[in-house]
Amino acid sequence: MKKVTMLCLFIFIAGLLSTGCGSVDKQVNEKEKVFRYGTMAYGPAMENAGTNPHDTYYGWSTVRYGIGETLFKFNNQMEIEPWLADSYKQIDDYTVQINLRNDIIFSNGKKVTGDAVKACLEDLIAKNDRAPGDLKIKTIEAAGQSVTITSKEKVPALLNYLADPYGAIIDMEAGEKDRIVVGTGPYVAEKVTDTEIDLVKNTNYWGEVPKLDRIVVKSITDGDTLTMALQNGEIDAAQGLPYASLDLFKDENKYKISSANTSRVYQAAFNYKTKALKDLRVRQAISMAIDKDGFTRVLLHGNGVPAVGPFPGNMHFGGDVVKGQPYDIEEAKKLLQEAGYIDTDGDGYVEKDGKPLELRWLTYTSRQELPLLAESAQDSLKKIGVKLIVNATDNYKSFLKREEYDIYAKAFVTAPTGDPEYYFTTHVLDHSAYNHGFYHNDNMEVMAEELRNTFDKDKRTELAIRMQQQLLDDCAFIYAAHLKMSFVMKKNVRGFEAHPSDYYEITAALDI
Amino acid sequence: MKRYKALTFYGMLILLLLVVAAAAPYIVPYDPYAQNLPTALEAPNGIHWLGTDRYGRDIFSRVLVGAQTTIFSALLLLSVISVFGIFIGIISGYYGGWIDTVLMRITDVFLAFPEMIFAVAVAAALGGGILNAAAALALVAWTKYARLARGLVFTVRHMPYIVAARMNGTKNSAIMSRHILPNIAGTMFVTAALDMGTIIMELAGLSFLGLGAMPPMAEWGAMMNNGRSMIQTAPWVVVSPGAAIFLTVAIFNLFGDSVRDYLDPKQ
Repeated sequence: MKKVTMLCLFIFIAGLLSTGCGSVDKQVNEKEKVFRYGTMAYGPAMENAGTNPHDTYYGWSTVRYGIGETLFKFNNQMEIEPWLADSYKQIDDYTVQINLRNDIIFSNGKKVTGDAVKACLEDLIAKNDRAPGDLKIKTIEAAGQSVTITSKEKVPALLNYLADPYGAIIDMEAGEKDRIVVGTGPYVAEKVTDTEIDLVKNTNYWGEVPKLDRIVVKSITDGDTLTMALQNGEIDAAQGLPYASLDLFKDENKYKISSANTSRVYQAAFNYKTKALKDLRVRQAISMAIDKDGFTRVLLHGNGVPAVGPFPGNMHFGGDVVKGQPYDIEEAKKLLQEAGYIDTDGDGYVEKDGKPLELRWLTYTSRQELPLLAESAQDSLKKIGVKLIVNATDNYKSFLKREEYDIYAKAFVTAPTGDPEYYFTTHVLDHSAYNHGFYHNDNMEVMAEELRNTFDKDKRTELAIRMQQQLLDDCAFIYAAHLKMSFVMKKNVRGFEAHPSDYYEITAALDI
Repeated sequence: MKRYKALTFYGMLILLLLVVAAAAPYIVPYDPYAQNLPTALEAPNGIHWLGTDRYGRDIFSRVLVGAQTTIFSALLLLSVISVFGIFIGIISGYYGGWIDTVLMRITDVFLAFPEMIFAVAVAAALGGGILNAAAALALVAWTKYARLARGLVFTVRHMPYIVAARMNGTKNSAIMSRHILPNIAGTMFVTAALDMGTIIMELAGLSFLGLGAMPPMAEWGAMMNNGRSMIQTAPWVVVSPGAAIFLTVAIFNLFGDSVRDYLDPKQ
């Protein structure tokens, strides 16, 4: 009797364990086509754990995961093309009329009209912290399938800004419930948490019929966990794998990799308040000592392109249209010597007036490439006799606030709207929010003002190039590399392509 | 005799570790900090016995120099927390009364924090660095020594020789340093010896979390952290410092056990 009881107990426990070990995914109807996607780019730390595009950076999730769409979208050259819009007409320097497509409907079946777009944009500028400053909207008027926007100032890049994910069009009458909004995209959010977004097919989608029944977007912020999740088949595709892990997915019979060069740059700003860095020759010497090629080729495993200026080569105002400092250790040493920095005590580090040239390099670790750049720069600068003290901390904001840094390195998407103005406005002007180096140049201020008032595309390009060259001549920043973004996926995944904008991931074309 | 042999054997191993750690900068085959990108991630071979890391640095040289950072940081930390903790414990146990109450309530406050989590929070606030990591651990780790020393003082403070010393008019400081401390030193030493392994692990743990040694310092925990994304593609980057931690902690723990066995009157 005792044995039978033990056997029953064993079977009961085994049953419980097997139930507990079973994947939640098994609850999904097996006939459904389900795509499981692991990403490092979703979560509260990225300020995108939601779908209402009018809040912080939630719009990135709205657009990335196919919930919402914008009036205009970017092509691979980061030029805008109509999306929900059909056409537009620039009436004068302050007014633009946007004509909407006639066949667009929200996922709840309601038609997208001029009034719906007006209500959405008005809510955007009322709530969002960046949109009012970018768009400078004075009035919005709706008439049938058209919307007329009048701005307070000249905004040459207005349509580009409308292609920013915060410009995703949502149904304001439907409102927001449990972080879910009603958009026009091929998928509809069913559940949104800090770690996951569950999507189902939008049966009312106006475009190509979505091919998947269900999509699970999972935040996996540890690179090794993400790697193993893809290896053991828990997910179908991954974004943000550590570079060192990419070699594990080279078997073309099992995996595919889609990559795109982005405008995310790894840059370091010189702090002009640091006495030694006020000297142009010192900044030039430091810039010359950075081995950008080695950094991208070896440390990023080729997943980046050495940068010259802030914009990548796939943009017509980016890449080698400007000229920066070449990698030249000997020339860098000479420049330091000219600036009065000589190694007098033979310890390998240069001094001036008895003080060693010792600089603090501040960066953070949430972008895996930044600590690598810091350590690479530390060794490079040692070769020219500059001692670099690296402070790689995610508490970097308090160091920024206390101005306890000489060089601040970070990652930044320089042209999220395909237009150069955004970078200059945010980084190099007296009032720029991210001018952490306290850079100032009168000529730059004048050119920025000119850029703000120039609509002609060619003239904007020319101005952007001149401004970049000015920055490089002043050696205000070190531009190390532009990131190549990669999606790794199982062989059977189709229609999942990396895009230079980093905005578009899940589309109606996605299939498994 | 057997106990003495074990003590001698593990003592010799500790000595060897300390000598290697001290002499590391002079005996390394390569500059442990010199980057050489063309030789990055080479597997162990005749030139680089333990391979190279992602910067092309020789891992064998870094493990040797890392011994100095890791072991001496742990020793420094252990010295600070044990001396401070024993001092507080003796004062508290010897005087008793309100002094004991105040000191022990302060100890209770620090004991209320989970040690490693508190250390992580403090190290994060201080901004990394091996000294900051050691300071973060020191803030909470001294309490164990204070509690233990206090308990031991309670057992000896009414002993006839202490009472006799008092009656002779010996100063309190002299009683504590000449009569109490030597009588509790054995137990405290065993505790410290057994604690060494834990401290090495905790320091390495903080570095592994990116809150300890800052680049380019060769420190075993930091080296493991730097290589963890390569555990499948270049396992030698992680295995070498990991094995060094394992061996060192094992040696210190076995040494602590042998000291305890040697001093145990029951054996």
